[in-house]
Amino acid sequence: MERRLIYLIMIVAVAIPILFEFSWAPSRLVSAERMYQVIEDVRAGEGEIALVWLDFGPGTIAENQPQAEVILEHLFRRRIPVVVLSQYQLAEAVLNSIPADIASRLEHEMPGQSWRYGEAWINAGYQPGGAQMMQNLAAAENLSKYFGRDVNGMPFTHYPTFAALGGIEKVKLVAEVTGLVGVFDTIIQFFQKSDYRPTLVHGCTSITIPEAYIFLDSKQLHGLLEGIAGAAWYSELLKRNHPESQNDRLLVRNTALIISHLVLMMLIVAGNIVGFVRARRSSDG
Amino acid sequence: MVEASMWSLVSTIIGGIATLAIFSFLLKENEFYRFFEHIFIGLAAAVLPLLTIRDFLWPKILEPMLGLNVVVYPDGTVSEPYQPLSLLYLLPMAFGCLYYFIYSKRHAWLARLVIGFSLGLSGALAIRGFFAEALPQIVGSFKPLVVFSAEGAINWFESFNNSLFVVTLLLVFNYFFFTFGKEGSIQGKIAPLGRPLLMVCFGAFFGSTVMARLSLLVERIQFIVRDWFSALLQVVG
Repeated sequence: MERRLIYLIMIVAVAIPILFEFSWAPSRLVSAERMYQVIEDVRAGEGEIALVWLDFGPGTIAENQPQAEVILEHLFRRRIPVVVLSQYQLAEAVLNSIPADIASRLEHEMPGQSWRYGEAWINAGYQPGGAQMMQNLAAAENLSKYFGRDVNGMPFTHYPTFAALGGIEKVKLVAEVTGLVGVFDTIIQFFQKSDYRPTLVHGCTSITIPEAYIFLDSKQLHGLLEGIAGAAWYSELLKRNHPESQNDRLLVRNTALIISHLVLMMLIVAGNIVGFVRARRSSDG
Repeated sequence: MVEASMWSLVSTIIGGIATLAIFSFLLKENEFYRFFEHIFIGLAAAVLPLLTIRDFLWPKILEPMLGLNVVVYPDGTVSEPYQPLSLLYLLPMAFGCLYYFIYSKRHAWLARLVIGFSLGLSGALAIRGFFAEALPQIVGSFKPLVVFSAEGAINWFESFNNSLFVVTLLLVFNYFFFTFGKEGSIQGKIAPLGRPLLMVCFGAFFGSTVMARLSLLVERIQFIVRDWFSALLQVVG
């Protein structure tokens, strides 16, 4: 078959649910449920935070952005102060836009309540240095001093919530959202002390799911979001507990993905049948 | 606010054009595609040094070293005292600059000092990282073959899962065991059993890779259909 016809079939298959905005309920994913419970159980006292690494850019935004959104929405709803930061230089835009969008959505949903920058979250920006940076971060006795300033150049001490963060023991949750090989490993390997290892959850792209399962199985990971499907099920859990939560767009995206898989499987089966019939004909004739 | 929405509109329209330009490669290689490919590469290359300077070199190294982070208030007091020890940053910076001697035939040995230091550092980090990452996985692979529930009954599903895991682990280990000749031995006879298990693993990797690519397609189509068309209609209307 002309390859361009296959592209067209795939694009049309994907576009139909998006155009008509219909969606199916997402499949239940145990690892996403486990992650929901982990975040639900986080108790952050004075000076305690969640560290959310958004290590993704345009290349994996399709899967990582919905994951980052549901994680941040859950943390914001639970009023856990969040430090967003990244080891990936192309994450600059998402570090700024995603928490601000979630905060704005929640403020719209709950008039009278606010999620302000510097109170609900702070953006520590791009953190270069890989393993060495991660070791220094784990060894820092005062994270406010370690980060120094936020991405806008304001000292952390300017914001009362983040003025005296203390060391790694004050990090109650680490969430790593990435599709980059090696970046996630840096946290597993170096963000720990001999007597303390923060709870770690991970949003991964579909490509890295098989790899991530190893860490889940060894209990180095406490929860996992597998691609769009993981984010979709997590958003469904959020909606069950907070009916005002919006996940229509994500469910449409998940449905389009399911349909594209079905079409792809049909094309594979059809291709094999055609190939088989042709082979039989050529051997007969 | 008006400016922000205008900026959002413009960036959405440019984003849509860039997406269509990259998708045009599906038809055939063309100049429209090439133009945007070069823009993407240029942007990605420029962002790294810019952010390294803005978020790291300037605020964490140069500002403290030059004392520019010290604010003098009108009453003459200062926000924080100048730390002369920050001048010690000059030593590793000077050492790092030796790398540029790689361009000199006569003094290239100076660059090798930096390279050697970097290799040693990376090696040490890799060893530490390996143990921190792999040890819990090795411990995690010691699974009970028979799992009992809280009531004392056998949990058949978990027991089967664990047995499958252990059998797969041993067969794949055996497949990659090349220390002794396998010909004629039991080890050699069971070695091929590792191959189909590896193929299952590769299949899972391939399937998940296809899923990731389709996710990208879905997100872009959603952007084009919902956001880009709306932005275009706003401009036209």
